[in-house]
Amino acid sequence: MTTLQAETPTENKNELSPQQEANAKAGMSVVKKVGLLAIAVYILGFVVLLAAYGLSGTKNEEFNIVQPFHLDTWFTIVGPIEFNKGVLYLLLTTAITIGILLYVAKSMTMRPNRMQTAVEAFYDLIRSMTRDNMDEDLAKKWFPLVGTLFVFILVTNLLGYIPLPVNSSEKIFNGNFPSFQLYAADTNVAVPLVLALGVWLAFNYEGVKAHGFGGYIKSLVPSGVSKGMLVLLYPLEILSNILRLLSLTVRLWANLLAGHLLIDFMGGNMAVLLGRPFLGWLTLPLGIAIFLFEAVLIAGLQAFIFAILTAMYIGSATHSH
Amino acid sequence: MSQILQAINAAAETGVDPTTYGQKAGRAIALGVGAGGGAAGAGAGIGSLFGSVVEATARQPEMRNEIASTQWLGFALTEACFFYGLVGGFIAFFL
Repeated sequence: MTTLQAETPTENKNELSPQQEANAKAGMSVVKKVGLLAIAVYILGFVVLLAAYGLSGTKNEEFNIVQPFHLDTWFTIVGPIEFNKGVLYLLLTTAITIGILLYVAKSMTMRPNRMQTAVEAFYDLIRSMTRDNMDEDLAKKWFPLVGTLFVFILVTNLLGYIPLPVNSSEKIFNGNFPSFQLYAADTNVAVPLVLALGVWLAFNYEGVKAHGFGGYIKSLVPSGVSKGMLVLLYPLEILSNILRLLSLTVRLWANLLAGHLLIDFMGGNMAVLLGRPFLGWLTLPLGIAIFLFEAVLIAGLQAFIFAILTAMYIGSATHSH
Repeated sequence: MSQILQAINAAAETGVDPTTYGQKAGRAIALGVGAGGGAAGAGAGIGSLFGSVVEATARQPEMRNEIASTQWLGFALTEACFFYGLVGGFIAFFL
């Protein structure tokens, strides 16, 4: 038995037709060629920039890398309500989310296509997220909130990795057209703060509803603790309850803002700040790597974290220790 | 210490305001310590987290799916700490 198993792979290998082997070799060499070409272009660009501008440069004192993340008022809608790029991103997110989900819901079939399969897997994920952390009827009640938060944060984050012409502080084409920028609504602390405030109110409301106000305050600390320890534990537990609001906000905000600043910084802002063009070319691969890391992993992960923490907080507020 | 004082004195002689000089130095240090310390702490945390995941999966491969969801939760919570440090450094540097 063992000899058979050991022999099969080698036989299979030997049975590769000459055609397949040629294909495999050709595929290898194409990848190699592209890789070598990319390295050659990289080195060539580096040499050209170094020859054209040299190593030295003057510092740019006026350039401010956080300026594009400030919100310029584009126009006023009613009274104190203003329209700026943050509002534009939120509206875009809402439109895209509602559009995709309504389209999938309307064209539901018994034999799902790719889009429907993805949305159904997504639905299953959110359902297991709520059911694992809450009782049955609570899960039914809070499923829409958790699902909406997940989809909304995911789409706002992903929208933040598409360059759109929203940077109105620096115009191009003779100052007629705003320049392109990677901006996300979550890079402004107000958006995550409002989302987290909603979650904080929701889980405290559920806790008070389940235990009564006094009962909820009592349920914050484990039962059966001596009185001396209670004096120590109560401030800590109440603080941790309030800090949940802060940590939910800052996690989302800091991830998005620092991610975007790092992409900008590696993608050329550092070269502009120091006035050395070759530096921009040097850090560009790092910028692309951070962009991919942020867009592929962090965008989805932050949405997942926010949703699952919401479910956990609501679940833990209703259970007593 | 005396070297720092010498540097500040040298800067003052060339016409740079010592207060601005000190502010700039402090900002640079804040950004360096925030980003560097944040990266060190989060790096240690993420390393230990993935080490534990490998160990746990090797012991109980049938728990793989449950471990994976906890793993990504822990990864995001740990990795956020790096960004806290970095954003703190950026705030000190630019504001």
